[in-house]
This record gives sequence, structure tokens and C-alpha cells, in this order.
Amino acid sequence: MNEEQSTTVDTIWSNVFSHFTKESEETKFDVLKRIPILKDLSKRELKEILKITYERNFESGEYIFQTGQPGASMFIIEQGEVVIVKKNEKDENVELARLKSNDFLGELALLDNSPRSASAYVEKPTKTLAIFRDDLLKLLENNPDLGRKVMHRLAITIGYRLKATNDLLLKKEKEINKSNNA
Amino acid sequence: MPKSSERLIRSRVFYSLTIIIISAVALYLLLALRSLIVPTIIGMLAAYISSPLLTYQRRKGIPKSIAILILLGAFGFIIFVIGKQIVNIVPNEKEKLELRIQVQYKLNEIYLDYMDMTDYDSEGNFLYDLIGNETTPFVKTVNMFLMLDDKEKELFKKYTTGYNNQPPVNERIIEYHNVNKTLPFTLTKDLKKDANSNSITDEIIPEPSDSKLALIINAISTWIVMPFVFIFLLIDDGQIKKYIINLVPNKYFEMALTTFENVDKAVGNYLRGTFTQCSLVGITIFLGLLLVGFDFEAAALIGIVAGIANAIPFLGPVIGLGAGILYALIVDGIDPIIPYILPSNPVIGVLIVVAIAQAMDNAVFQPLVLGKAVNLHPLVVIFGVTGGSILFGFIGMLFAIPAIVIFNVITSTIFKQLKAYYLIY
Repeated sequence: MNEEQSTTVDTIWSNVFSHFTKESEETKFDVLKRIPILKDLSKRELKEILKITYERNFESGEYIFQTGQPGASMFIIEQGEVVIVKKNEKDENVELARLKSNDFLGELALLDNSPRSASAYVEKPTKTLAIFRDDLLKLLENNPDLGRKVMHRLAITIGYRLKATNDLLLKKEKEINKSNNA
Repeated sequence: MPKSSERLIRSRVFYSLTIIIISAVALYLLLALRSLIVPTIIGMLAAYISSPLLTYQRRKGIPKSIAILILLGAFGFIIFVIGKQIVNIVPNEKEKLELRIQVQYKLNEIYLDYMDMTDYDSEGNFLYDLIGNETTPFVKTVNMFLMLDDKEKELFKKYTTGYNNQPPVNERIIEYHNVNKTLPFTLTKDLKKDANSNSITDEIIPEPSDSKLALIINAISTWIVMPFVFIFLLIDDGQIKKYIINLVPNKYFEMALTTFENVDKAVGNYLRGTFTQCSLVGITIFLGLLLVGFDFEAAALIGIVAGIANAIPFLGPVIGLGAGILYALIVDGIDPIIPYILPSNPVIGVLIVVAIAQAMDNAVFQPLVLGKAVNLHPLVVIFGVTGGSILFGFIGMLFAIPAIVIFNVITSTIFKQLKAYYLIY
């Protein structure tokens, strides 16, 4: 059995039997509470969200998702470390960001199934909570008030990230212009 | 690797043994309790079909537990009404005798009429010359099964003047009985034995008074599972899906979720569409037969049979038509609401009603409710229906096409998603 197979087997078992060894709902509840998208929700609404979360455990070396795959869920890091990488022209992985506990990734998948723009690579054994788009949409359909709050926060979060990307782009442009002038 | 290799091996042995033991017990239970499979499937289908009704109620602000109770009450009421109709239709001893006399009389009347004969000793028309040698022995055999033996004749005689708290037999039936007695058939010892042992109604309903109760108790003992399956599937808040998804390796996690959702949507739409389509066909036939002049109970029963059978492509409409024609052949005293359908041709009435129902099914119901539902090749349908009937009888025939459609949806969605996630080429 090679290392990849062994990792896969271990994560299957840990996911299957996580039911028997799962931590208290309070811990997961606390994790959800800290996520900006779910910030405005009441305790009752957060409990509804908790019902549709999946606990996934990843071993180091595994990918949570890879570039080009259709996005289906958002992941919240409960514990561990995830690196967002993208391949450059030389087919080398370039690190774009490093995410730790209470960070979240893949939130665009909550809007549609467009392909992932980067890959998420697990560096340390990582515990995540996943929210599947269709489950969330069904919940929002039945509970429009909750839906409005989540979608509003999601729009703000995406707006912030877009602004940060624009700033970064401007900074890079300035650097390039500077080096060209020099 | 964080775990020591010894601990890893121990974990794998423990997990594998647990899986093997659970699978063995599940397989044993599945075989031992196979009589519960059909009620379980029907409970699942009912839950599946009614889940949008639950969503609708919840969106209107009704708490889930009350919404489920409302659905259960509605289903219970429908089953109670249908069940009561069926129990009413199951004939008692007197009605069984009357039915046999009536069917035997009508059979001979229609046969002699088609062959243009006054009795079995007279000369027939060209049709009789052509097929009479083959058909007459068959008609005689059917007569043997239907005709009353001496004991039953005695019993019928008692019923003619009122017996066993039953009203006296209708004059018309007595007349039929007298005509049947003049037929040139006598029950030989062997045939009589055969006729008695092969009588379907005798086998199912041995004694008129206990039979209905026995039938109900027997049905309740296995069908009690159905409402429980129905309730618990509706109560389920995604725990079953979560458990299944937990079995999936991380690599296939998102793919499995998407596949599960797409299959759920496609199968739900198909089942709900088929249910609506069959109900509409059943209601059309029921209303049509009422217009033609069938009595309420008969029209309802034929409507239900035709509606359920409509789930079987090609063969379904034939079953509905057969049930209607069978009743049209033996019934008399039809009183049509539409004047130009004469009482003497209820068969034509049934043909028109079934033709209209099928035309509406093809032109309106199917495009409206099923839309672009999975189209199967006619050969697949024929093999599926035949295979289903060979393996599981009528239930197999009924569920063959939905099973094939579900299998088709699952496999095609899995392949599509495996490709989308670059897991296969």
C-alpha cells in the first residue's frame, strides 16, 4: 500500500467512525459562530446551519479541492492548516494564502458550481466543517430571513476579498512600473 | 504518519471486523424479513412523493411535527377510504354465488351471440366453423369452473328467499341461474374437484364471516411498517444522507454530495410526475366510466386499477382496458348519462373512455407533469416489465420501470460527476 492509499484508507475510517467519536456540538457551534458569513445569525438559526454541516477530517498531503473542479461546498477550518496553491506556467505550485483554525475557504461555491480557481492543500492533519450549496439553498428557501442574512454577509465578504485583490493588483502594477522606469 | 503502525493495524482490523459483522447481520435480516420489503418501499415512495407538501407547509410557518401529522392524517384518510371500498367489494358467500351465476350466464350469452347459436347443439356461423372446435371446449372448461355443484345449488336456493341475514336474491339472478341449469354441462367427479380447488376466490376467502377480519389482520401485521417508514423518513433532517456521505473518501466528497443531490432531484421529479400522471389517468377513467353509466364503486375500482397499472408502460393501459371490459361484459342495467351510448354496448363505452384517457395522458398529462423525463427504449421497457414479472410477479412488473429509471439516473449522474471532478476520463 503506497502512502496516498494509506492516507485515503485512514481518512475513510476516521470519517465513517467519526459518528462515535465526534466532539460536542458546542465546539462546532462555537466554530460556526466565529465565521463572518454566519455572524448575524441567532442561536436558533446557527443550530439550523449546524444540522447541514459535514465533519471532514483530512490527513496531511491531501487536497480538499483542486483547480478546475466544480465547486460544491464551503469549508471551515476547525483545526489544522491549509495552503491555497495555484500552478504557474512552469507547472509549479505557487502559494497564494495560508489558512488556519476558524478560517474558511471555497465560499464562492455557495453561489454556483463554477470551477475552483485554486487548489486547497492540507499541510497538517486538519478538521473541517463543510457546508454544501444545495443544502444551504434548501434551508434558505424554507427560512427566507436566515437566507437574507447569510447572502448579505456573503456579498460583503466577497466584496472585501475583491477589494483586497484590487489593492494587491495596484501594488503589483506600481512595483512593475517602478522597475520599468528604473 | 502520526499513529504507530501497531495501533494502525489494530484499528483497521477492528473497523473491518465491525463492517463485516454489520453487513452479515444486515444481509440476514434482509432475507429473513423480505415480506417487509414491499411495505417499506411503498412507505419510502409515499414519503418521497409528499416531501414537497411538507416543504410547502413549513414555508407557510407550520411546525414540522404538525405538518407531518397533517400529511399522515391525509394519507390515513385516503387509505381508509380506499380500504373500505375494497373491503366492501370483497364478496361474501351470497355475492360469490351470485357473481359466479352472473359471469357464467354472461359468458354463454356473449359466446353464443358471437357464434350466432341458440344453444350448444345448434349450427353456428362461419366464425364457429373456423374456430369453434378450439373455443367451445375452452368455454366448456370455464363453465365447469363457474357452475354450482349440488351443495352450492342448495345453498343458493336458501339465499333466494333470504338466509343468513341477507336479503333475497334478485329476480334477475334467479332467472340467470335457471338458464344456467339448462346448459348441457354436467360436473364430472374430477372436474368438480378441479373446479373447487382452482377457484381463486375460494382459496383466498374460505369463510365469508372470518375472511375479511383475517385479511385485515394479516395485512396489518406486515403493513404496519409502512406508516413508520413514512413518518421517520419525513422526520429525518438529513441524518441518513450525512451517514451515507460519511462513508465516502475525501477525494469523492464533493462529487458524492452533488451526485446525491442530482439523483434525489431527478428521481423525486420522476416519481412525483409518475404519481400525478397515474392519478390523473385514474381520475379521468373513473369520471368517464361514471358518465358511461357504471356504478360508483365499479368506476372507482376500475379507475384505481387503471391508474396504478398506468405506471407500467405499454401494458398498463391494456390492464386498465381489460378490467373495464371484463366488468362491462358481466354487468347489466347500465344507465348512461350520455344518451347516445346505449345500455347494450358498455364495452364500447369503456373503449371510448380508455381511449380518451390515453389520448389525454399522451397529449396533456405526460408533457405537463413529466416534461423531459427519462425516455427508455421500448425494448428496455418490454424486457424490464417481463423480467420484473418473472422475478417478483405483479409487484415486479409495477416497479420494474421506476427501478430501471432510478438505476439509469444514478449511473449516468455518477459518470457525469466523476468526469467533472477529473476522476475518470
